[in-house]
Amino acid sequence: MVNVIVLIKQIIDIDQMKTDSEGKPILSGIPYRVENLSKNAIEAAVQLKEKNGGKVTGIIFGTEASTAAMKEAYAMGVDEGIIITGYKGSNPIVTAKAITSILKNLQYDIVVLGDQSADSYTGMLPGLLSAMTGFPLLGNANSITINGRSVRITQVGEAENAEIEADMPAIVSVTQEINQPRLPPVLQIMAAGRKPIRMEKYDGSFSNVNVISNLAPKSERKKKIFEKVDEGIPEIVKVIKEEMR
Amino acid sequence: MKALVVSDDINFLKQACTLVNGKAEYDAVYVGEGRVSGVGASTLYTVKKGTPYDAVADGILEIMGNYDIIVAGSTEFGREVAGYIAGKTGYYAATEIFSLEFSNGKAKTKRFFYGGKTVIEEESDAKVFTVAPGVIEAKEFESKPEEKDLPIKPSKVRVNKVVPKNAGGVRLEDAKIIVSVGRGIGSKENISKIEPLVNAVKGELAGSRPVCMDYGWLSEDRQVGLSGKKVSPKLYIALGISGQIQHIAGMRNSKTVIAINKDKNAPIFQECDYGIVGDIFAIVPKIVEELKK
Ligand SMILES: Cc1cc2nc3c(=O)[nH]c(=O)nc-3n(C[C@H](O)[C@H](O)[C@H](O)COP(=O)(O)OP(=O)(O)OC[C@H]3O[C@@H](n4cnc5c(N)ncnc54)[C@H](O)[C@@H]3O)c2cc1C
Repeated sequence: MVNVIVLIKQIIDIDQMKTDSEGKPILSGIPYRVENLSKNAIEAAVQLKEKNGGKVTGIIFGTEASTAAMKEAYAMGVDEGIIITGYKGSNPIVTAKAITSILKNLQYDIVVLGDQSADSYTGMLPGLLSAMTGFPLLGNANSITINGRSVRITQVGEAENAEIEADMPAIVSVTQEINQPRLPPVLQIMAAGRKPIRMEKYDGSFSNVNVISNLAPKSERKKKIFEKVDEGIPEIVKVIKEEMR
Repeated sequence: MKALVVSDDINFLKQACTLVNGKAEYDAVYVGEGRVSGVGASTLYTVKKGTPYDAVADGILEIMGNYDIIVAGSTEFGREVAGYIAGKTGYYAATEIFSLEFSNGKAKTKRFFYGGKTVIEEESDAKVFTVAPGVIEAKEFESKPEEKDLPIKPSKVRVNKVVPKNAGGVRLEDAKIIVSVGRGIGSKENISKIEPLVNAVKGELAGSRPVCMDYGWLSEDRQVGLSGKKVSPKLYIALGISGQIQHIAGMRNSKTVIAINKDKNAPIFQECDYGIVGDIFAIVPKIVEELKK
């Protein structure tokens, strides 16, 4: 039996987000969704439960609007959910504090989360949580197995993969390749809508961060596009030869 | 100001040192094998390859009193160390940065946000930084650092086995010319049709995520993009790549970009210097022929 916690992030659907003529992100009307790697984390957590027995608790640090994301997690097999409200923007240290404030009152063997999220990509949360909980981190896993009281993963590194393990409780961050998140059947989605969600509040101060600008990067490319292949080839060959020198 | 620069990868270490050089005095921690030169640090701490993040980070915390800031290369290991140190100290971490300035005791940094669709410029009291890979061109610095051992602490993680991904390992980050293929290549077999071009330009072969990850037509270490390598060659040739923002985030710093795509509305044409609208299989052999002349 394992007691699994899964950390879920809700983000705006960045694929749908556009920037205006000044390069400012247009955020109004963009729907929220469960962040990509969080889905892999949910799937990994639910698979651990299915294999070893136990329970999966989902935690979202978000807002009142995060219930939709939690319901999606329920439909995928998460048993209980806690939404911590008070999210004011991407700041990993605040997120880590909010989550540990809840974790310290919970019983658990493993905390599963995505290694980096698709919007901000800081990749800080796994290490932050390890420091704040005092539990070992097994980072960037593309497989997880439980053996008695220890967890073993295959860690994907830049140049090599490593087989590493630690005693539980442990924190495990997952890659996008670890699994294919399931698409829950309609019945489960409907049942998920009726399940209660525990709401908590976190009133954390933000560190001294001042956003000076947040704009689409300017492209200063020449954009010489040839629709006539025969005109394009000699031009491109010239450029290649130039750059090869 | 005194910085401690940390990485388990020699190139990331040099990139991070390049970013810090001139802005702070710095020492370096290298976790790995082999001799380290050209980083420009005053003191070089070397740590045995494969030492877990917590053993290294607790060691750094021990000597942290000598430093104002910690700068880590953003490898998996680097992010774990940076996160752990931020968690223990409570310092704000500015992550995945590619630009760093200090004024009035504040750090001014730039990083990509919204999956690469925007760049955020921030001013903060950050004391921990991770440096986005491949965005800064690593310089070689003259120095004869004093070599020391980092006080390594016990780890809670046991390392059973390390398997290198592929011997030799491509270093796309260092490539001068990159020929990159996207889903438009169609199959693994078709890659051989592109190889004559790769050879003719003496380039390295790379790919988009579907090609490297989803289909495995190329190995993972050849993936360019937000979740892959950040490259900055003199010439980047994109073949059958649509140019989604997550791909652009990895090749944006290329000096010159050439794109070939059969869809004239493909976003890659907004991010290239020269483009041809057409079929890669018809055009690439002709380019190779012309290059041989
Ligand atoms: C969190 C996250 C991280 C990501 N990280 C990365 C990353 O690191 N790197 C990355 O690349 N992607 C990444 N992606 C995926 C990215 O969003 C795109 O899906 C991907 O880049 C598309 O790859 P592609 O251009 O090869 O394929 P497609 O978008 O399918 O484009 C194929 C193109 O080939 C053209 N084509 C087809 N046949 C031919 C032909 N015969 N001749 C000429 N042109 C042809 C088509 O017109 C089309 O434009 C990430 C996504 C997410 C959500």
